[in-house]
Amino acid sequence: MSDQLSNAAKPRFRDTPFGVFLSRYLDSKVATLAFVVLVVIIVLAIIAPWITPQNPYDLAQVDVLDARMAPGEEAFAGYTFWLGSDGAGRDLYSAMLYGLRISLMVGVLSGLIAMVIGTAVGLTAAYAGGRVETLIMRLVDLQLSFPAILIALMLVAALGKGVDKIIVALVAVQWAYYARTVRGTALSERSKEYVEAARNLGLSPRRILFGQIMPNCLSPLIVVATIQTAHAIALEATLSFLGIGLPQTEPSLGILISNGFEYMLSGKYWISIFPGVALLLTVFCINLVGDQLRDVLNPRLAK
Amino acid sequence: MRKYLAATSVAVGLLTGAAYAEDLTIGLASEPTSIDPHYHNLTPNHALSRHIFDTLIGQDQVQNLYPALAVSWKPIDDTTWEVRLREGVKFHDGTDFNADDVIFSFERAPNVPNSPSSMGTYTSGKTLVKVDDFTIHVKTEAPYPLVPNEISQIAIVSDSIKDAATTADFNSGKAAIGTGPYKFKSYVPGGKIEVTGNADYWGGAPEWDKVTFRPIPSAPARVAAVLAGDVDAIDGVPTSDIEALKRSDGDKVSLWQGSSNRVIYLHMDQFRENSPFAKGKDGSAIKNPLLDARVRKALSKAIHRNAIVERVMEKVAIPAGQLLPEGFFGASDKLEVEGYDLEGAKELLAQAGYPDGFELTIHSPNDRYINDAKIAEAIGQMFTRAGLKMHVETMPRTVFFQRASSGAEGGLPEFSLILAGWSAGSGEASSPLKSLIHTFDNERGFGASNRGRHSSPQIDAKIEQALSTVDDEAREALLAEATEMAIEELAIIPLHFQVNTWATRSGLTYQPRTDEFTLAMGVTRE
Repeated sequence: MSDQLSNAAKPRFRDTPFGVFLSRYLDSKVATLAFVVLVVIIVLAIIAPWITPQNPYDLAQVDVLDARMAPGEEAFAGYTFWLGSDGAGRDLYSAMLYGLRISLMVGVLSGLIAMVIGTAVGLTAAYAGGRVETLIMRLVDLQLSFPAILIALMLVAALGKGVDKIIVALVAVQWAYYARTVRGTALSERSKEYVEAARNLGLSPRRILFGQIMPNCLSPLIVVATIQTAHAIALEATLSFLGIGLPQTEPSLGILISNGFEYMLSGKYWISIFPGVALLLTVFCINLVGDQLRDVLNPRLAK
Repeated sequence: MRKYLAATSVAVGLLTGAAYAEDLTIGLASEPTSIDPHYHNLTPNHALSRHIFDTLIGQDQVQNLYPALAVSWKPIDDTTWEVRLREGVKFHDGTDFNADDVIFSFERAPNVPNSPSSMGTYTSGKTLVKVDDFTIHVKTEAPYPLVPNEISQIAIVSDSIKDAATTADFNSGKAAIGTGPYKFKSYVPGGKIEVTGNADYWGGAPEWDKVTFRPIPSAPARVAAVLAGDVDAIDGVPTSDIEALKRSDGDKVSLWQGSSNRVIYLHMDQFRENSPFAKGKDGSAIKNPLLDARVRKALSKAIHRNAIVERVMEKVAIPAGQLLPEGFFGASDKLEVEGYDLEGAKELLAQAGYPDGFELTIHSPNDRYINDAKIAEAIGQMFTRAGLKMHVETMPRTVFFQRASSGAEGGLPEFSLILAGWSAGSGEASSPLKSLIHTFDNERGFGASNRGRHSSPQIDAKIEQALSTVDDEAREALLAEATEMAIEELAIIPLHFQVNTWATRSGLTYQPRTDEFTLAMGVTRE
């Protein structure tokens, strides 16, 4: 095997842990494609203000006289609606990219915050054991027994509209998943010899928890984080579709889809379909990437 | 075997076809909240109650009054109206109709427990006296010409139900005994309401043997249901589908349009020195700019009403310059629709001391009026062009009306600028003038929906004068004058009058109504 041949020299890139990881990830053509598409989507969303003809959130640039233009028609302001315009006169191409910005930001931010909270809670439960663990985990069970959409609906209804409130609601819905995953992994790690050793060396519980156990919980955590981000994006779209997420004048993908919903029968397909495809593509790609990550990072599935 | 199957399917087809012809199913956009005709002063409830119950005086499709359970009515002195009742009318349970039923109904109507919006609006200030079995005197404290219009809103129930007259007993059918063209059959909230034809109806047997009302709140689902033949007729056809239905499904469904008396308008905070949603562009507190008539005029000029009607309402609305469409009793023939004048608007803002505009939020329901949220957004765009910094906030109607009426401290209106609508229940101009324009006065029942709290003693005097003028011509002139004064001061900014669209499967016709009622009595076979 070539691995042995290169042993003497400086390890080649594909022998480093990251290289191994990368080559195993790239084994799947579908997952590779999904990753590329996802990167393209993210880049487009980030550079949206520089590549779109209209700022769909600026009421001065949106004109109701441009409402419901078919793809390819020209706006009063001179540019072309390549993907058509919606009922308020927003250019759908611009609105979709801006909507993606919000959707991705909400998904990633709420995912990260939930991950930090959930990990801390899960680790604490696993390490503390006893009554603390029981208390925390029953709380998690309780939360997971409610449908996520129900909790989010109630929270957003109580908190009001706005990006920050949506994020709070999504964090409240998601932290339990992280807590449960981390606690499960940490429990099996806790009984391993290296933790025993660390304890005998007299390391503080905090150092053992965050320095020793946590790094070993990372791989399942990454997988859950990816899937949960996709979840969060879909959930935000659902809330917005129901009309309780974000303000009407700053549409995310969910609002764009719901705006076009009523025009479906009258043949103005573009208002719903294009943002719908964008949402589908984003969530689908994140899920594919997450699935492949799980396969690659799970030692039991390693060849 | 195959032949046999074919034969039965033809037979079944004939049978269902026959049943179909006598039965009618209507898909409703808004579900009535009860069978009890006195529970909730709400358009869908009134519409449903007209099937099971009669009123003393009926309103036709353009809200002209006609004799129903009353055969005649006339003032006999300044404060008394004499109403003569129809003889020989029987309730659904076989008992005879007489003056006792009327007295009982008018006593019950304003006193239904837990009523979200009471019928007291129509009964207050009136005392009913039984003269004989078929004559009633309606007494008022002052001369009051609107007695016939207002008593036309009260459904007559049987006084034999005294003990069982709770709202729940109406919903179960136990007390739902009227004299109307249809009899109560069943009511499943959220599911369906069934009524059957009353062959003994005093006005002649109705067109349909059985009518089923199915609430279908989602607009696309409602349209799909009539296209698929699941229902025979629907109301609230969404404006977005009208063009396509006309074009491609003209052989499957017919559309029926009629303008309504509902004006869509903006109310502006005109009672606070500092309005919570009107700020300087840097977010600092400023003196409420909406108190300045020049600012209100500028806002009215900045609205491109034709653009809203054409692009948002897809031409299914009429631009409004006053409170009621022309031709209604008390509508002014002098007022014109405010033209779009952006430069004029900016100039007025500059004159008023806001050359750079200010920050303002428009609040609107998103499930009450046709395209309400989209209209609010278009208004947001238009005011932005005039130099304002606009925010648009939309919310479900239950939240909106609570906050817009009494969301601020002390039960005051919460918002600075709202979009709302008003339908004149009485079919003439005193209704919007009394509720939207007159100074807020809870005790006397004035300004009940005056959420901007505009207050002008001159207009108040004019409205009150009109309300106590018995002579029709003089009253009509006074109402028109009050309307002109209200628009001159821009107590509200009118946007447009709603036009309602019903769809029926082809072969049926529908008689559109200005009061927006959806009635099985209006559906006929061609």
